[in-house]
Amino acid sequence: MLRRDPLANPEALIRRVYAYVAYRVGDGPDAEDLTSETFERAIRYRKSYDPKKGEPVAWLLGIAKRCIDGRGPMLELASENLDEPVASDLEEDAVRRLTVSRAVGALDERDRELIALRYGADLTARQIAELLGARTNAIEVALHRALGRLRETFGSDAESEPVRKREASR
Amino acid sequence: MRGFTEMRYWRRRHELDLEAELKASRPQPSPDFVRRLEAEVRESGRTRVGGRVRVAFVGALTAVMLMALAGVGGVGYAASAGRDAAVSVKRVVTPGDVVRVLKKSPAIDQYAKKPTKKVKKVKKAKKGKGAKGRVRARTRPPFTG
Repeated sequence: MLRRDPLANPEALIRRVYAYVAYRVGDGPDAEDLTSETFERAIRYRKSYDPKKGEPVAWLLGIAKRCIDGRGPMLELASENLDEPVASDLEEDAVRRLTVSRAVGALDERDRELIALRYGADLTARQIAELLGARTNAIEVALHRALGRLRETFGSDAESEPVRKREASR
Repeated sequence: MRGFTEMRYWRRRHELDLEAELKASRPQPSPDFVRRLEAEVRESGRTRVGGRVRVAFVGALTAVMLMALAGVGGVGYAASAGRDAAVSVKRVVTPGDVVRVLKKSPAIDQYAKKPTKKVKKVKKAKKGKGAKGRVRARTRPPFTG
């Protein structure tokens, strides 16, 4: 009997895993490396995938999470190292992406993980709970709080930026 | 300049849903990266599926051949050939002094080769040593003219 291949539709999976990784470590080459590493491991261990334990994306995100955790504190958030963008040569969409990325990067590790799983990998609260071994209610509450902190970060970041710029230019 | 643009942007979108914004701003991988990784994943899957297909094909072919052979009595023929070969091997391997009766039937009782009595050749007395001393047996009477 042929088993279901978890990597049968790779493109959608690559995008979701990348979005998760990029929300965790920042958009760029590090995220690409980690996504590649995740898929290399997945190819190597694809026989170990058990459809009873969840969707292929959840399985891949578990691998991606281990890849990120395995790198440890050596990995810095790439968005912190980005060059300052100039508004004139950036489209509104790019500014928006960068702003969101910086705001998510300012959150603590736990909040960033939840945001990455919910809005990067597009998992439901229930799927996140299964992946992290927590209760769905607890995840929903934690997500709500993380969003609240993110909203605060947005406000402070956007308002303090011109002041910081002015002080720097003096 | 960037901060000003961001502030303007967020003021404009203040009322909008943050969740929708997070989904819309989801980081996207470069098309080249996606294409490369996708090709790699598909290639690995093809090798694996190819191996399975080959095994399945060989199995199916074997089954079809066996069914075709069974239809014309080939299986029985092959089995009896195998049995004969086994008997032949057994005959070669088994020591010669051990006589085994493989079959017993009235026909064998009637027509079987009966053991013949061995007639002992009487050695003629040698007159001397070597070939000269041997006496040649006469097969016809001597010529008398």
